Amino acid sequence: MDNNNQPGPLRSRPTLRELAYFGVVSLVLLVSLAIAPAKNYFSDWRHYQKSYLKIAGERQSGTLVRSFQGGIRQTWIAKLGVVDRCESCHVNLTGALVGATGQPFRKHPIIPHDLEQFGCAICHRGQGPATSVEEAHYTTEAWEQPLLPARYLESGCGQCHLGPLQGAPRLNEGRALLSSQGCVHCHIVAQPDGNVLKPEDNPPPLTHIAEKTSREWIYAWIRNPQSYAASATMPNFQLNEQDAADISAFLMAQSTASPTSHIEITTASTAAAPGADASTEAATLYGASFCSSCHAVQNEAGNLVGGNFGPELTRVGAKVNPDWLRRWLSNPAAYHPATRMPHYRMDPKQVALLSGFLLAKKDSDFLANAHLAPASADSVARGKKLVTETGCAACHQINGVNPPQNFAPDLTHVGSRALAQVVFAPGMKHNLPDYISAKIHDPRSFGPGLKMPKFTLGESQIDALTTALLSQTDHAASFPKELIISGGRTSNYHPGGEAGRIMDDLRCLSCHAINGNGGDMAPDLTWEGSAVQRAWLEDFLKNPNTLRPALIRRMPKFNLSPGEIKTLTDYILTAYQSPGFDAQTMDAHALNADAAARGKQLFYAKYGCQSCHIADYKNDKGYVGPALTSVGNRLTPAWTYKWLKDPSALRPATIMPNFSLKDDEARDLTAFLMTLKAKQGGGK
Amino acid sequence: MTDDPKMQAEVQSDVRKNPRRIAFILRRTSPHVKTQDDTRVMTYPTALSRFVIALEVAFVLLVWISLLANAPLEGIADPMHTPNPAKAPWYFLGLQELLHYFPPMVAGVLVPGLVVGALIVIPYFNINIEGESLWARDRKRRLLVLGVVLAAFCVFLLVFDVIVALVPTILIGGLMLWSARFSAESPKLFQRWLSSKPLSFWIMSWFLVELTVLTVVGTFFRGPGWSWVLPWKS
Amino acid sequence: MSMATTIKSEFERLRNTEVWRTIFRSGSGASNLHRAQAVQQNIFLHLFSVKVRSRALEFSPTWYLGALTLSTFFILIATGILLMFYYHPSVPQAYADMKDLQFVVASGVFLRNLHRWSAHAMVFLVFAHMFKVFYRGAYRPPRQFNWVVGVFLLLLTLLLSYTGYLLPWDQLAFWAVTVGSNIAKAVPFMGKQIRFLMLGGNEVNANALLRFYVLHCVILPLAAILMVGVHFWRIRKDGGLYVPEKKKL
Repeated sequence: MDNNNQPGPLRSRPTLRELAYFGVVSLVLLVSLAIAPAKNYFSDWRHYQKSYLKIAGERQSGTLVRSFQGGIRQTWIAKLGVVDRCESCHVNLTGALVGATGQPFRKHPIIPHDLEQFGCAICHRGQGPATSVEEAHYTTEAWEQPLLPARYLESGCGQCHLGPLQGAPRLNEGRALLSSQGCVHCHIVAQPDGNVLKPEDNPPPLTHIAEKTSREWIYAWIRNPQSYAASATMPNFQLNEQDAADISAFLMAQSTASPTSHIEITTASTAAAPGADASTEAATLYGASFCSSCHAVQNEAGNLVGGNFGPELTRVGAKVNPDWLRRWLSNPAAYHPATRMPHYRMDPKQVALLSGFLLAKKDSDFLANAHLAPASADSVARGKKLVTETGCAACHQINGVNPPQNFAPDLTHVGSRALAQVVFAPGMKHNLPDYISAKIHDPRSFGPGLKMPKFTLGESQIDALTTALLSQTDHAASFPKELIISGGRTSNYHPGGEAGRIMDDLRCLSCHAINGNGGDMAPDLTWEGSAVQRAWLEDFLKNPNTLRPALIRRMPKFNLSPGEIKTLTDYILTAYQSPGFDAQTMDAHALNADAAARGKQLFYAKYGCQSCHIADYKNDKGYVGPALTSVGNRLTPAWTYKWLKDPSALRPATIMPNFSLKDDEARDLTAFLMTLKAKQGGGK
Repeated sequence: MTDDPKMQAEVQSDVRKNPRRIAFILRRTSPHVKTQDDTRVMTYPTALSRFVIALEVAFVLLVWISLLANAPLEGIADPMHTPNPAKAPWYFLGLQELLHYFPPMVAGVLVPGLVVGALIVIPYFNINIEGESLWARDRKRRLLVLGVVLAAFCVFLLVFDVIVALVPTILIGGLMLWSARFSAESPKLFQRWLSSKPLSFWIMSWFLVELTVLTVVGTFFRGPGWSWVLPWKS
Repeated sequence: MSMATTIKSEFERLRNTEVWRTIFRSGSGASNLHRAQAVQQNIFLHLFSVKVRSRALEFSPTWYLGALTLSTFFILIATGILLMFYYHPSVPQAYADMKDLQFVVASGVFLRNLHRWSAHAMVFLVFAHMFKVFYRGAYRPPRQFNWVVGVFLLLLTLLLSYTGYLLPWDQLAFWAVTVGSNIAKAVPFMGKQIRFLMLGGNEVNANALLRFYVLHCVILPLAAILMVGVHFWRIRKDGGLYVPEKKKL
């Protein structure tokens, strides 16, 4: 145990092997550490900047090459939270290097905004701060909004521009569809300024449905609305036979008597006059009443002819009860107080003719398969349950079923919905535009138990709807308020008094807008009193005739009484005056023959007005604007003068250009136009 | 003193002149009494160069991992959108897995508290310093006690439906009870190795396997709503 | 060969300069005394003993797990300091800084990757080191206290990793910390208060981010460095690394 006090053997020098290991590992470490900076050097943006300079060099753009500043470029806008580095690769957005057409060197098309004003990603999406191709354009773990496909690009505009926007037709169409297809009955779509989109499809109430149609028709209709009318707005709920039978049983059971059911049908109107004469006469009446302005009928070739404002009438004879139709034609509002259909003043004979004409429109096949067992109490109860679950009352008024609240997902921020919250159908691409588009195209394909029905929409309509929905982002909430441009809100204007009652009865606001309320099918009448002359207006109301030869839609003839016409004319000329507008401002003496002659020169020679308008049916071929052959009878000189000076000041949406006429030119043209007093509708 | 002294103790009155240390080596103080002298090396440069090589190897490996795999980064934190499942860092996923079975008080506080406490007291738990085999003494009684404890614990896990923890428990516990059949005279090396292990070895091994299994399950096999998923099917 | 001798003699000359000798007091020479002094007279190295048993340098008893853990810790300190140059602990700038690291900073992704993966590696290695020490029996007297220091270092490592987890301020960070901090609520009597103290509020927000940042970059690293110092010093004081003799089974 002596060696307890002895130190053990000591090896003091490192071996050669240890030194060799040390050297090799150190070398490997140094090499490995050099890889990351090398990787950095070969980045995407450096590559593109180099090839840009190469192209510029080949094109002998020496100045471009010299003035080029390399490195990462960015657009930084603090108040919008924008850090966009797209220009690090897209170095030619301004088009300084002419002819470099391949991406990323393509020139950005001219847009109403400065490129520096909003950056890129607000409209294009993608990841703005990224500097590699993959990260900037595609979905990654940290970024789930890839570059927006070009066909949805207008959704970018819609984030700030909340109303109709010139140059963004797809966005406008999409927003209109959200209302006209009734999407917003179930879904809330609120805009950043607080405006909530309202439905504009006017679904009929079902509270008196038993008077209008049969249970068989309801059954066939709800199983497949489009088999009755190809243009039907009502979507397909893909109901099975049993469900459709039960729902139709319930709808018939809940129906109550309408106020019109007490109106006696006069014998004159029931006795439809037979014979070829009568059918010609009925067709003429259908035409003269301009029913086809709103209602469409399928022709032999299968094309729809007519407007889509009211329901399609191709098979209306298979649908309606004859007595109901007669009462309806006599006074639609008595059955459906909120209808958009005007009250034609038809006499019993006309009602008989027209109803006979319409009832003949049917095909025997439509109800051929609808054989229903009599409705039992069970069936009615089940039908009520189904109606509640399906959400029928979200659109239609139904006795005993309240409109459902929060029935469908709120779409206010659907354009920036997190993908984690989206349930994709198997096999579809995981991005938002594809999801929204697929959801609209075939909602039920996402799994069983989903309630959204299938709408009949074309590809372009689906793209438009997707665009409108993608514009519903939550960016706008963080944008400065002054960037948000609200759309024109509809007011709740309604004309008052006796004239108001008549205008309501005629449903003028279905087509015309007045003081911000009403349709856009016909001219805005807000300042009509300043624009037109009394004699013309009285004549027009008695026998409306179109001003625009190219239009299919025309104002119908309402068979107004002379008293009604006087009331309306008085009211329009008094109430619908433009502010600061005096019909007497035009000096009548200025409108002399000399001026008219000078005006004619201006019309034909200097401004070439005949390319759009017709002043003389014999020579002129302009069909873009309204015919001016009798404009001297129609418009007031004061309106004409102001109109010529600045059309869009009077009608913001007009397509008539502003020619910046001098005062005397406008006066001379007015003098010429006032000489045009051909008989209305002349030239035929 | 005998003829062949195991140890010499020379005691002199003048300590300053001849200082000696006397070591009384008792059975229970140390696991290891140096019986032979080892070769030694200088810390500088031999040991230090070994350390530097280890550092460099670790560095090289991590550099290559970093070159090949990017650190995860998801979208910006959004308190309104809860991901499903919301997972803690991987080293806490064992605990999160337990939270799935037990109330937070147990899985989140009691269990980790006990684990940390147990880890701290391990070296002060002054039994079986020499690492004597579990079955060296009292074999029958120990077999009975451990068998009952193990069975009771398994029933407890079964009641709470903790299959994930039950499987390793049965595995390690079974191996422990099985090792009672062997002794230092068993023919196979593996059997001799098993039989030589003390109780602390079995407890720590159980902890290690539990920790690994729970963490792996929580990391790879749990999906939305903490339901079972297979990592290769996503 | 002549090249190597030249380098060697130049190096020897360097070691004999006054500046070198004031820094490394061992001076020139290749004796064991000089080697001993190189360790003894260096504030960092004097934590170690001058000589170690060559058996302790073998791979199988330790797998070098302690050394590897320390290596990852060094890498983490180095990369962490670099990352701090690019990072603001504020909402939402913290996340924007991650994006800038990724897209603008030269080798920024690499830096962040290295820090992230080293952190995971360190947590794993600390656990592995602990189990290896246990199975080796190296926690037994007289090394009890160093085992306890090791347990505290384990907890510090977990806390360092956990506080660092929040800093990128992405969904992963936010919800991982939310889940973790909700566990603290389960502590009886004062769970809510503990969570409030931890987050600087009732939910994970900008206050929590700042708190985690300070903990992650100042308090916890300092504590860890201190404890690592104690850990190594104790190895020396407890008689070097414990390496059991090979027993015949």
